[in-house]
Amino acid sequence: MIGLAPPQYDPAAPTTAETLPVGAPATVRAYVRELLRRHRGAFALLIAVNTLAVVASMVGPALLGGLVEDLSDDARELHLERTVGLFSLALVAQAVFVHQVRLRGAMLGERMLADLREDFLVRSVGLPPGVLERAGTGDLLSRITTDIDRLANAMREAVPQLAIGVVWVALLVAGLTVTAPPLAPALLVAVPLLVVACRWYFKRAPSAYRSEAAGYAAVAAALAETVDAGRTVEAHRLGARRVELSERRIAEWTAWERYTLYLRSVLFPFINATHVIVLCSVLMIGGVFVLQGWIGVGQLTTGTLIAQMLVDPIGIVLRWYDELQVAQVSLARLVGVRDIEPAAGDASVAPEGRDVLADDVHFGYHSGVDVLREVSLAVAPGSRVALVGPSGAGKSTLGRLLAGIYGPRTGQVTLGGAELARMPAEDVRAHVALVNQEHHVFVGSLRDNLRLARAGAEDAELWAALSAVDADTWARDLDEGLDTEVGSGGLSLTPAQAQQVALARLVLADPHTLVLDEATSLLDPRAARHLERSLSRVLEGRTVVAIAHRLHTAHDADVIAVVENGRISELGSHDELVRAHGAYAALWKSWHG
Amino acid sequence: MQIRDLPYADPGEPDARSGPRFLLWLGRMQLGGQLKSLCWGLLHFLGIAALPYMVGTAVEAVIDRSGTRLALSGGLILLAGVAIAAGDTMLHRTAVTNWITAAARVQQLLARKTARLGAALTRRVAAGEVVAVSTGDVEKIGWFVEALSRFAAAALTVLAVCVGLVVYQPALGIVVAVGIPVLALAVLPLLPRATRRADLQREKAGRATELASDTVAGLRVLRGIGGEELFLERYRRASQEVRVAAVRSARMWAVISAVQVLLPGLLLIVLVWHGVHLAHEGRITVGELVTVYSAVMLLNYPLRHFEEIAMAYSFSRPSAKRAARVLSLQRTEAAGAAGPVDDRGTRGGARAAEDAGTTGGGGSAGSSESAGGREDTGSGEAAGGSQATGARQGSGGGEAIGRSERVGSGEAVGGSRGVGGSGTADRGESAGGRARADAGETSDSTRTADDQQTAVDRGTTDGEPTVVDRGTADGEQTAVSKGTADGEQAVVGTGRAVGKASAGAPDGVLAATPPAGDLYDPATGLLAPAGRLTAVVCGDPDAAGRLAERLGGHPAYTTDLPSVRLGGVPLDDLPLDTARTAVLVQDKDPVLLSGTLAALLDVPASGAVSPERALAAAQCGDVLAALVQGSTADDPMDAHLTERGRSLSGGQRQRLALARSLVTDPEALVLDEPTSAVDSHTEARIADGLRELRAGRTTVVFTSSPLLLDRADRVVFLHDGEVAAVGEHRELVVTHAAYRAVVTRETEEEHTGAEQHARAQDGSHDCGRADDPGHAHHSSHSDDPESGHSNRSGRTGRPGDRGQASGIPVRTIDIEETA
Repeated sequence: MIGLAPPQYDPAAPTTAETLPVGAPATVRAYVRELLRRHRGAFALLIAVNTLAVVASMVGPALLGGLVEDLSDDARELHLERTVGLFSLALVAQAVFVHQVRLRGAMLGERMLADLREDFLVRSVGLPPGVLERAGTGDLLSRITTDIDRLANAMREAVPQLAIGVVWVALLVAGLTVTAPPLAPALLVAVPLLVVACRWYFKRAPSAYRSEAAGYAAVAAALAETVDAGRTVEAHRLGARRVELSERRIAEWTAWERYTLYLRSVLFPFINATHVIVLCSVLMIGGVFVLQGWIGVGQLTTGTLIAQMLVDPIGIVLRWYDELQVAQVSLARLVGVRDIEPAAGDASVAPEGRDVLADDVHFGYHSGVDVLREVSLAVAPGSRVALVGPSGAGKSTLGRLLAGIYGPRTGQVTLGGAELARMPAEDVRAHVALVNQEHHVFVGSLRDNLRLARAGAEDAELWAALSAVDADTWARDLDEGLDTEVGSGGLSLTPAQAQQVALARLVLADPHTLVLDEATSLLDPRAARHLERSLSRVLEGRTVVAIAHRLHTAHDADVIAVVENGRISELGSHDELVRAHGAYAALWKSWHG
Repeated sequence: MQIRDLPYADPGEPDARSGPRFLLWLGRMQLGGQLKSLCWGLLHFLGIAALPYMVGTAVEAVIDRSGTRLALSGGLILLAGVAIAAGDTMLHRTAVTNWITAAARVQQLLARKTARLGAALTRRVAAGEVVAVSTGDVEKIGWFVEALSRFAAAALTVLAVCVGLVVYQPALGIVVAVGIPVLALAVLPLLPRATRRADLQREKAGRATELASDTVAGLRVLRGIGGEELFLERYRRASQEVRVAAVRSARMWAVISAVQVLLPGLLLIVLVWHGVHLAHEGRITVGELVTVYSAVMLLNYPLRHFEEIAMAYSFSRPSAKRAARVLSLQRTEAAGAAGPVDDRGTRGGARAAEDAGTTGGGGSAGSSESAGGREDTGSGEAAGGSQATGARQGSGGGEAIGRSERVGSGEAVGGSRGVGGSGTADRGESAGGRARADAGETSDSTRTADDQQTAVDRGTTDGEPTVVDRGTADGEQTAVSKGTADGEQAVVGTGRAVGKASAGAPDGVLAATPPAGDLYDPATGLLAPAGRLTAVVCGDPDAAGRLAERLGGHPAYTTDLPSVRLGGVPLDDLPLDTARTAVLVQDKDPVLLSGTLAALLDVPASGAVSPERALAAAQCGDVLAALVQGSTADDPMDAHLTERGRSLSGGQRQRLALARSLVTDPEALVLDEPTSAVDSHTEARIADGLRELRAGRTTVVFTSSPLLLDRADRVVFLHDGEVAAVGEHRELVVTHAAYRAVVTRETEEEHTGAEQHARAQDGSHDCGRADDPGHAHHSSHSDDPESGHSNRSGRTGRPGDRGQASGIPVRTIDIEETA
């Protein structure tokens, strides 16, 4: 067991590209400074009570030292009552302050943690819609769950405990220096040993623990997936492979456990050695000093006891130090969100009218690769435009440009003459809404789920919106009406109901232009038919750009734009396009038989 | 067990009768590890406990001005130091090893259990529990297992020190011996409350995390429509609640810390008081006082393990209970679903079929001979339906039928179907225009035989026997039993056969070979001819989903409907694995498993279809591009999919799932709405790709998309749980108004001609609907045997569907006729 290399496979290595930035060291440092400044009062208080607790804890050994001195001198008066009284007082003080240290530490840690997670969410919900569309929410999601979790430990325990530990060690050393000054250097004997061992350990430990944790999470994740995919696993006869996968994950995880265990197996003897050497050197050196008559027996006793007491705080410091290192990585990921520039909107850009116009637009997600080329499209107020075309042709991208989520690389997308890309997101959405496949039902009451579209809406308005989309019947049947908890953990709505809630939000938000991106595509045909009725009521009187999956949607549109290879290849009404015998006509024929 | 040897080759059979028993079982399985840990723990704790004695002698030596003794005690301290260091490190190593091996063992047990439960698990509440055990409970159980030996060592040490002190210095030792138990137990009453508060805090934290991730998951909605403030405010409230709960919990722990300072302190004060008096009186030495004092100070350390074990047990008890519950789950569905299927090597000549629900005369034993002429080892009481088998066998000349013992407990005999012949009987029955009948309902075996004959005749008109009987030497044999004679194929069929396996047949050969042929559902009359692409239109998606599931055999839900047959073999009676091999059912919501794309497509497969071909057929080009873009890999096959493929759009996910099913290349592939989220352009290309790739293979697609229907060899329209029309899309869309209404989604206004009709149909497209009395279509075939017959033929489609391509008119039950 001499030497063990870290396992080859690292479960913590990223597999998906980091879609959002990670905070630079400078950003992280600045953030930590700000956090500490914000809580400096609580910090000072924690250190104060901690100091008192440690000082009180040293009274006992000091008094015992005195008694030993007296006893060994034999002749003098003992003042036992006074000593015991003092001892008791010190003990009570110590108990009170220990209580306070623990409590204040938790209060400080919890406050910092709450600050951090709330800060992060504030930043997240302020992200420009374009960044979200592009990055997806996966990376953000893992930051808010995994990274916050990791930080919780650090903030809740590591920061306060480290503060306590460091202060404690300092005070003990100071205490020893005061009671028996010549003994203080004896403590130093073990320092080099400790430093060497710690340097070796901390160079390896944090990343190893991160991998170990990721490895363990992967074990549980593999199983959770097998459970979740039960039907698929059975249909494809993947049972044996899933067991195999679980066992591979276990092997990967335990390899890291073995490695970290090895790291500790190296560190632990050194720490134990440190303690014993400190104790031994204080006793031996001190003993010689006493024999030489430089210090008293009492001083030696006190010094020995204090040396013994060092075990605890050193343990605390070592224990939490690596936690703090792990936390640093998580903190960088959280703080990274702050590095994204909020979209600079110009509130003075306001549309006049409702014409949507794309003028010679080029757009690409990566420089040099344009997804849309030379696209021009005029959408008259109140008209319906259907975008059809194969997957990847760029119709969704065009829809997002028309909804103002992305700005074009060249050319312009305007609403009533105002450039959408220059308007703040909050203003754009008052006019244009993008409705996509995501019918997210938020955890919370049905009321909250609707009111997000119009803050402060009365219940009557909410009911009106629900009835506008045919959702009032089932909603009224709910036991608690608008107060019914929905979303994960609450009542689970059917996809059709979720879609109706999404539509009711639109009614409430009341934008005059809608971009529908495959809004009903995930629904089964029967539900879709029912919903289309609800939808058509919502669409009444609005300008609609529909990215159509199903040709019958296109059929009803005033204008159909066929998007192929990033260009609009055909444009016209249904009848015109059918007459033109192009790609659309062929498809229609196949569809309609 | 060393960590490097994990995972276990066999995690063992757990004692899951209760939580404590499960813990005990885990402990028993690592007894050696526990003992090792205990020994090292004793070394460690005793080393620590020995220190005060040495410190005492050192101080004594100094007082006595003895340099030699000082040096001696210094040497002893170093020696103790070595013991402490070795003990500490090894205790840690052994205890952590216990933790890890226990955790790995439980995780392995869970993985095996989950794989065995398969689809049965998803419908149960238990699904959440399995995950909860894996993510949370394993750790707690592991903690207890780890802490156990450490506690035992600590307890022994405390005992030893107390005894030692009493012996070493009785006057002071007795005070310690009385005081220590008080210290050990003092905080225990506080612990339950503290852990309750900690639980509450965790619960609130979980809630806050849920809110946050929910907000982030719906962030695009929020950013698109507003409401950020509402949700931020809500999160802030939840976050502050966590904080308050955490501080409340910390308050309790703070009290515990204070008590942990106060009580030992009081004991020390009493010791000092008493000890100084004794020392002053000269009854003890100063060194002894210092020794006792520091011994008590150091005892605090082992004493903490009393609290640890109390907490570990209180945490792990509910965890162990849940783990035991999960590990004792069994796949014992009612009729229709199999028990844990592993019948390999259990079949043989033995069979005993008992068919419940039979009305036939007294159960005569249907004994049969195996192909090798072996005597039947399991004699069965087979009644009714199986009587038919007996008869058939009698004439058919000894087929080895039947499969074997079912392992799972609680098999429902009531649901079992008759042997072999039942399939044919079934078919024969329907040909006669009767109500659908399970073999069990056949009361007359002769009659059944006749019907069989009918079926055969019918089947053979176009030269292909209905109920395939490949390899049977005897052409008279109709049912099931393919290739028994040459031993290539198991004859399945018997419901819950009871017979013990005879060792005759080579293991796993017979039952493991899946059947082939037409896929036929006696309940609805749906027939998917072998080698063809059949599209099924069903107005009710839920009913379609249930039917699709039944088409694969062993549905996870309970049903009384007879089994679907593949090549005449009832799938429900095949071993689960064999049935799944023969028929792959891709449900509406197939799950993409995370991992690389290559791993996703690496499924048990025939090997005839390469991933590249499947991806091309499913039109996955843009998915590959999207995967590379979001990944650290350059090759799309190495790109990682996130869980459930969440980073992809619904349409992209569907196409990957389809590609995976295509790679599998099963005998029969059933797809339920495989392209519902795909745009029309792409869908049309997929339809072509699917057709080409599955050429010559049996494929069933549930869809209402004209683009797919148009490319199917045969379209079956289901109505009210029965086949209502069979034909080609282009014909049906013209001739069948109800069909047209479903697939083109026309509104009434658009098709005034069909208005009346459409109204009659409104809402009744549900193919799962049980009854619709008075409906012309329905009564037509239940009353009139003649038209019923024609219906059936349209339904089973024997002559019809073969003739279709060659211009034979399609027979449909068209409601328009009656409307």
